[in-house]
Amino acid sequence: MPMKQGQYAPKSPMRRIILASMILVPLITFVLILGIGYYYFATSIETSTLASMKRIVEDHRQMIDSFLSERRANLEFVLQSYSYDFLADPVNLSNVFERLEKESNAFLDLGIFDEEGLHVAYQGPYKLVGKHYGKEEWFKEVMKKGYFISDVFLGYRRIPHFIIALAREEKGKKWVLRATIDTYMFNELVKKLRLGRTGESYILSTAGVFQTERRSGGNLMDKEPENINYPSPQEGIKTFIKEDIRGDAYVYTTTWLKNKKWLLVVRQQKKDIFKALSSAVYWIVMITMIGSGAIIGIAFYLTDRIVRRMERMDTEKDRLGDQLIRASRLAELGEMAAGFAHEINNPLQIIKSEQTLIDTILGELKERGEIKESEDLTELEDSVDQIKLQVDRCAQITQSILKFGRQDEIQSKDIDLLSFIPEVTKMVANKVRVNGISLREEISEDTPPIHGDPGQLQQVLLNLFNNAIDAILAKHGSKGGQLSIETKPNVNGKVAIIIRDNGCGISPENQKKIFSPFFTTKPVGQGTGLGLSVCYGIIESMGGVMEVESEEGVGTTFTITLPVSA
Amino acid sequence: MKMMLVDDEERFLSTTQKLLAKKGIEALTATSGSEALENLRTQNIHVVILDVKMPGMDGIETLKQIKRQFPLVEVIMLTGHATVESAVEGLKSGATDYLMKPTDFQDLIEKAEEAFEKRKRLEEKIRVARTRTFMKSPREILRETEKM
Repeated sequence: MPMKQGQYAPKSPMRRIILASMILVPLITFVLILGIGYYYFATSIETSTLASMKRIVEDHRQMIDSFLSERRANLEFVLQSYSYDFLADPVNLSNVFERLEKESNAFLDLGIFDEEGLHVAYQGPYKLVGKHYGKEEWFKEVMKKGYFISDVFLGYRRIPHFIIALAREEKGKKWVLRATIDTYMFNELVKKLRLGRTGESYILSTAGVFQTERRSGGNLMDKEPENINYPSPQEGIKTFIKEDIRGDAYVYTTTWLKNKKWLLVVRQQKKDIFKALSSAVYWIVMITMIGSGAIIGIAFYLTDRIVRRMERMDTEKDRLGDQLIRASRLAELGEMAAGFAHEINNPLQIIKSEQTLIDTILGELKERGEIKESEDLTELEDSVDQIKLQVDRCAQITQSILKFGRQDEIQSKDIDLLSFIPEVTKMVANKVRVNGISLREEISEDTPPIHGDPGQLQQVLLNLFNNAIDAILAKHGSKGGQLSIETKPNVNGKVAIIIRDNGCGISPENQKKIFSPFFTTKPVGQGTGLGLSVCYGIIESMGGVMEVESEEGVGTTFTITLPVSA
Repeated sequence: MKMMLVDDEERFLSTTQKLLAKKGIEALTATSGSEALENLRTQNIHVVILDVKMPGMDGIETLKQIKRQFPLVEVIMLTGHATVESAVEGLKSGATDYLMKPTDFQDLIEKAEEAFEKRKRLEEKIRVARTRTFMKSPREILRETEKM
């Protein structure tokens, strides 16, 4: 089977599929998790922030409302408790004011007006007695409705303030009690609300004028620059987002105070509210980047490993396939050769008989003197001898072929290499000595036993020894030959037997064919070319491997690796 | 000694027959197992050279028949196969010896003579035994001889 070159090359579809799935699957999951997490986190922050803003604005409104209604109740008490005449006396008014100040230090002054709007009595820091207020809007309003609370205005005093005025009808005559509320106090009360870093609260009049200072800029009595939408008086708490003149987005929460004249505004910068969220976004982006990088890196690494593993497995598979094909081819060839050899033996038998007959008849003829000794007769006899020789040679070939293809009953048993190898070397010891070869045996003491047919293993070792001796003789003649057999102990359940010679070596192209049947480098008539292929088959049938390593003119090493007996 | 050659190769039979004749050995030939058995029934044959591989009744089967019907006949198997397997099977079934194709004529004669000697010894024993125990049937005599 040819190696599929580039099957897993960098741009192969297989590699791409593995890489894509290894990157996309975790990455999509990862991004989805982060995205969903972000969505719910953002939603929950938004909901909880808005809810808490609403709650805060509501609380704050109640507090401001109760401040205002308390002040009104204070004045109502004064109005109902004392008569116009009593309060018109500056001394009495001063006493009452003193008591009022004890109630709340928000009161700046206190004044009494008659029906016409004349300032009758006044207790406070200014000189307002005798001033006429009959034409003032607030006076008309209080005379009509009995109660009035003003927006913040400058008035005669030219400082911002607002007033609370109440009217009472006594003995057919109306009179008015008016108090000025300290805008500083009120301002502080409204302003004291703090939310996060930028959260602030302030009050706007229906005309969009600041009734209290805004911390982020917006003086008392200035026009509110953002022109926020006013809710209708019936509406409760309203939330919206609006950019201010500097371009910062704010989340507004507004609600009318009880008198419906003033709008309480609580606002906070959007980025302040979502500060936690933006830091979450920062981390999410960071994690996404690092995580994606890690995923992609790992994907590339693992894909590489997987692909390499697959390549290795493919090579292994190909190799096994090759081996299998080779083995079955060998078996087929063996069978065929055996059948062929068997059939050849019959005609050989006949030729041999005929030759014997010719020989016998020739002998008889000579004996009887019917043919005389002559050159022709000698030639004839030589020819007949040659027939016998060649038939014997054929017989030898068919014998080896039959041996190659034979399916002997294999008698497997445990073989102790420690005693087995010396027995085999003893068989060649004489031949080795005669040819002046030094034989070295290095059988490691801890060589484990193997399992197989001793006869077969002996055949293999003898074959290798004989080949080695032939190779040594070809190179060195009968001097300087070196032959060794050694064993390597158990490595991963395998034992190696190594036979090494310093003979003529095998050329690289011959090394490829060395285990093929009928391949021989020996002269005609001296080898059938079956020895090594038989050995190869035997070692393979024992579950082992036979390998050759050789360098021309230096020597050859055969390594047999066999599984250790279980 | 009277021999019989059994093989499906007629030329081998005739040539070997001639060679044997030159050695003064009378030899019959048969090209099949059944012909061989037929010859055994009609003639007194001492040694049979039997080819293992033959069409029809093969050598092993023929051997078994011969040994069943003519236990005293010595049979030498002639095998074309280098493995001793078929030879071993032949020996187990009562063959005296085996020869491998292509066999040397000299070997053939030697083995045949050995077999004949064996046969002669056997016959001698039977004769001696028979004179001692005339009351016994030949089959029992044979069995006793085998034990010895």
